[in-house]
Amino acid sequence: MTMTPEQILAEVTQVFRQVFGNPSITVNETTEAKDIPEWDSLNHTTLIAEVEQHFRIKFSLREIMRFQNVGDMCTILRTKLGS
Amino acid sequence: MLDGVRRSCVESPDRNAFFIRDRFYSYRAFAEAICAIEDVLRNNFAEERNIGILAYDDLETYAAVFATWFAGKTMVPLGPSSPPDRNARIIEEAGVKVAFSSRSTEGLAGPLTRYGTDFVCTANLALAGAVPETRRISEDEIAYVLFTSGSTGIPKGVPISHGALQGFLDAFFALGYQIDANDRFLQMFDLTFDLSLMSYCVPLMIGACAYTVPSDGIKYTHIYRLLEEQDITCALMVPSILAHIRPFFSEISLPQMRYSLFCGEALYDDLVSEWSRCIPNALVQNVYGPTEATIFCLTYDCHRECANKTNNSIVSIGRPMQGTGVLLIDELLRPVGTGEKGELCLSGRQLTPGYWRNPEKTRDAFFLHDGHTYYRTGDICFSDPDGDLMYCGRLDHQVKIQGYRVELSEIEHHVREITGLNQIAAVTCPDAAGNTTIHLFLENYRGEIPDLIAGLKTRVPPYMIPAKIATLEAMPLNVNGKIDRPALSRRAQNPS
Repeated sequence: MTMTPEQILAEVTQVFRQVFGNPSITVNETTEAKDIPEWDSLNHTTLIAEVEQHFRIKFSLREIMRFQNVGDMCTILRTKLGS
Repeated sequence: MLDGVRRSCVESPDRNAFFIRDRFYSYRAFAEAICAIEDVLRNNFAEERNIGILAYDDLETYAAVFATWFAGKTMVPLGPSSPPDRNARIIEEAGVKVAFSSRSTEGLAGPLTRYGTDFVCTANLALAGAVPETRRISEDEIAYVLFTSGSTGIPKGVPISHGALQGFLDAFFALGYQIDANDRFLQMFDLTFDLSLMSYCVPLMIGACAYTVPSDGIKYTHIYRLLEEQDITCALMVPSILAHIRPFFSEISLPQMRYSLFCGEALYDDLVSEWSRCIPNALVQNVYGPTEATIFCLTYDCHRECANKTNNSIVSIGRPMQGTGVLLIDELLRPVGTGEKGELCLSGRQLTPGYWRNPEKTRDAFFLHDGHTYYRTGDICFSDPDGDLMYCGRLDHQVKIQGYRVELSEIEHHVREITGLNQIAAVTCPDAAGNTTIHLFLENYRGEIPDLIAGLKTRVPPYMIPAKIATLEAMPLNVNGKIDRPALSRRAQNPS
C-alpha cells in the first residue's frame, strides 16, 4: 500500500509528538530543529530511531546526516515506502 | 598572530578563508570585511575599549573579531542563544558601549539595550580598504573577555591578553603539527567558547580554510557532514559530539583526517579506540585547559599500537605545552608527590591576569609559589612517573555539559530565586548517548515545572537547562543532615 505524502506527514507528526512528549506539536515540510525547542541532539537520534521503527525502514548514515528539515525526511521516506 | 592573518590576506587573497553555510569566502572578502568594520571603530568609537560581538555564524562576525583586534581593542562575544538578561549582565560588567551584529539591529529592544549600548549592523558596510594595517600590540593588551558560569549566579569574566593568546599559539605550533594552507579546519564552537579561537586563528594564520558550524540546529549532523563532504583534515571537538555519531562508526571512514583533537570533557578510552578506526591516518589527541589558561595547555597523544594511559577509563590529559608550568597541591597549597592526588594548578604565559573586576574571586583562585603565579583549576589529578597527568575528579560541583563549564550551584541559585525553595539539588546523569546531562530535584515543589523551565530560560544558556526535573516529598539526607547528592545521582540513573 503506497502512502500519500499527507499520510506520511501525519504519521511523522505522531512520532514527533510521542518522542517530544508534546501532543500539540505540529510540523510541516519546512520545520527544522531550531523551530522546536525540544528538538536537540539527543532527541534527534531518538526521533530517527522511532521513525525507522514506525515505518519499518532504515535510513543510511548519509541520509540521516542530510536531513535539514522534516521535508527531507519525508522525501526519503516516500522513496523507501513508495516503490 | 595578527601579522600571520594579515600575511594570509596579502599573500593569498584568492584562497578560501572560510566555508560558512555551504559557501566559500576568500581571504580578500574577509580582509575587506575587516577593514570596513575597523573603519567604523576608528571613526566612531575610538575611545571604546571593550567591543561586544553578537556571535553569529557568518563572515561579518569573524571579521568583527579581527577588526576589533586590528583596531587595538578587546572583544567580548555575546551568545545569541543566551538569554538577553544574561547578555545584558555581561554588557554591564564589561562596560560594552558598542556591539556589532551581522544581523539587522532595527527594533532591538529589551534587556540588551538597557545599558545604552550602540548596536551596529555589520552587513553592507561601505568598503574601506583591502587589507588591515599592521599593528604593534603589546603583550598586556587584553584580546578578549569571556564569561563563564559563576557559582553565585553571576557569570565570571576571564580576560585574556594578546600575550597569553600568542603564548598559546606559539606553544601550539611548537607541538609540531604538519599543517599548511591546504589543510581544512573544523570550527564547531560558539564564539563565546575559547576553543573556537584555536579553530579559527590557527587556519587563518597559515592561509588555510576554517569550516564553520551554525550555532543553532543539530550540531552533530552538521559536523559529520562537514567532516565527510568537505574532507576536513584537522578537527578540534568535544567528546559528546562523537557520542552522538558512535552508533554509526562502522559506516564512517574519513581517511583524509590528520589531526583529531578532543577537549572540554573527559575523553573515554573506548570511544578513542572506536573512533580511531574511522580515521586511520589521524593522530588523536586529548588536550586540556581551562579558559583561565587560554584554550588548552596540556596535551596527550593517543596511541594506536598500544594502550593509552587511563584512569577510570578516562584518557590521560598529558603534559604541559611550552610555556606552561604544572603543580599539584594539597589543601594547604603544598606540592604532592608523584602518584599522589592533588589539585592541578597551572602557571605560565597563557594565564589570565585575574577575573574581570573581581579581586575576591581572583584571590581565591590564584596563589604564588616559588616566584610564579599559579591558577587553581579545581581539577584533582595525579602525575604518573613519566609526568603524564591523570584526571580524577573535581573539588567542587562544576561539571561539563557539551564541553561547557557549568557550576551546578549556579543552576541551583537561579532555581532558588525562581521557586523560593531551599531544598533543591542539581546532579548529573548520563543520557542514552553517554553524555552528561543535568537532573534537578526539588523538595515539595508546588509550582508548575514548565514555569520553572521558562524562568530558567530567561536566566541561563540552553545547555544549563536541566534535562529532567523531579519533585520529591523529602530529599535524601546524609549523616550530616546535608542533601545526599550521590543518592540523588543514583536515583537519577535508576528512576523507580
